[in-house]
Amino acid sequence: MPERPENRVERIVSGLLRGRRLKLRAGDAEEKEAITAAARFAAARVGPQRMSPAFRRRLAQTLESAPRGQFMTRRAALVAGIGVAAGALAGGVVGRALEPAPQLSRTGPINPRKGVWTDVGSLADFDEGQGKLVRAGGVSAFVFRRGEGVSAVSAICSHLPCELWWDHDQSLLGCPCHPVWFTSEGKPTSTYSMPSLNRVRARTTTAGRVEVLGT
Amino acid sequence: MTSDPPLPDGSAAPSEPEAEVVELPSATRATDIALDELELVYAFIYARVGNRADAEDLTQQVALKAFPRLREGAPPSAIRGYLFATARSVLGAFWSTRLGLSTAELHEDLALAVPQGPTSDEPVERAGRILAGLSDNYRRVLELRFLHGYSLKEVAAEMRSTVGAVKVMQLRALRAAAKVDPDA
Repeated sequence: MPERPENRVERIVSGLLRGRRLKLRAGDAEEKEAITAAARFAAARVGPQRMSPAFRRRLAQTLESAPRGQFMTRRAALVAGIGVAAGALAGGVVGRALEPAPQLSRTGPINPRKGVWTDVGSLADFDEGQGKLVRAGGVSAFVFRRGEGVSAVSAICSHLPCELWWDHDQSLLGCPCHPVWFTSEGKPTSTYSMPSLNRVRARTTTAGRVEVLGT
Repeated sequence: MTSDPPLPDGSAAPSEPEAEVVELPSATRATDIALDELELVYAFIYARVGNRADAEDLTQQVALKAFPRLREGAPPSAIRGYLFATARSVLGAFWSTRLGLSTAELHEDLALAVPQGPTSDEPVERAGRILAGLSDNYRRVLELRFLHGYSLKEVAAEMRSTVGAVKVMQLRALRAAAKVDPDA
C-alpha cells in the first residue's frame, strides 16, 4: 500500500527536526516542493549555522594532507577510467540517493568480466600490515601483506568515486573527497553509516609473487 | 569522454562552473583562507538542506572540487565567487538526484546572492516572510512544528485538532509555503 502523502512528509519532517540526514525514498519526489520547504524551515529553526570545530578540523586535515594532485572529482575519476569499481559505483549514485540507507551489502569481491590475474610485485615488496596501492588493469586496489599471504580492498571509496590513500600514521585508508576512513579490511570507521569497501581478489604464488585479479 | 550519469527525470545535472583557475593570495595560507570562505558555503548549504550531516558532506564536496583550482594571487571576492558557483552546482546535483528536481526549478533558489557572513539572518528572515504570506492555520501549524519544535500530538492539542488532521494540514501548509514568493 503506497505511503500517504501526509505520512511521507511527516516522516521527513520528523527526521529533519531530530537533526537527521535527509533520507528520501523512491516516490518522495511527488512532494518535492513540500520537502524542500520543510528543509528550509528546519534550517530556520536553528538559525545561521557555523561548521563545528570537529568538522572544520577534519576539513583542514583533508585539504592539507592530500596533495592537490590526489583530489579527484567524480568526473575526473570517470574520465580517467580508474577502474571497474568506479564505474560500478558511479552507476549506482542515482539509485543510492533514492534509497533510505546506504547499501551495506555492497561489499563482495570485485569479479571483473574476463578477469586476469596480474602480477603486482614480489611478496618482499609489501610491508606487513601496510597498504600498498597497485593497479591490475582497470582495477586499483590496496594490497596488505598478512604473513605469507595477502588481502586486498578496492582503492575507490564506497561513497564517492575518489581514489583512497594510505595513511601510515593511522594505518587507515582515507578518502580525499570527504572525511571518512576505512580499515585495512575495508570497514568504515566513520560515525555515519557507510558501506564497506569492495574486496579485491589477491593471492601469492609459490614463486613468492603477489597477483591481483584485474582486467 | 564519459559524462555525468543521467538523472531520474532524464534531465542533465546542473552544469559545473568552468574549469578555470582562481588564485589564492598566499599559498601558505591557502587552507586557512579556503576554510574561512567555506564557513559561508556551509551556512549557505545548511540553510537549504536543514541538517548537519548533509551540509557537511556537501561542503566537503565543494571544497574538494574547488580547492585544486585555487592558486596564489587573486582577490578573495573571486575565491568566494568560485566557491559559491561550485556550491550551487553541488546543491543542484544533490536535489536533482534525490528528488528529480530539474535545473529550471532550482534556478531561482540557486541564483540567490552570495551571503556576506555566516551569521547572516537572511534564511530566518526569509522563512518569516514566507510564514507571513500564509493563512492563519497554515502559519500556526508551521510555527508550532518548526519554530517551537512541538510534536504532532502537541500541535494537535494546541490547535484542538487530531494528529491525523494536523499531518494533513502540515503537508498543505508546506505545499503552500513553497508557492509563496518571499521577495514579492
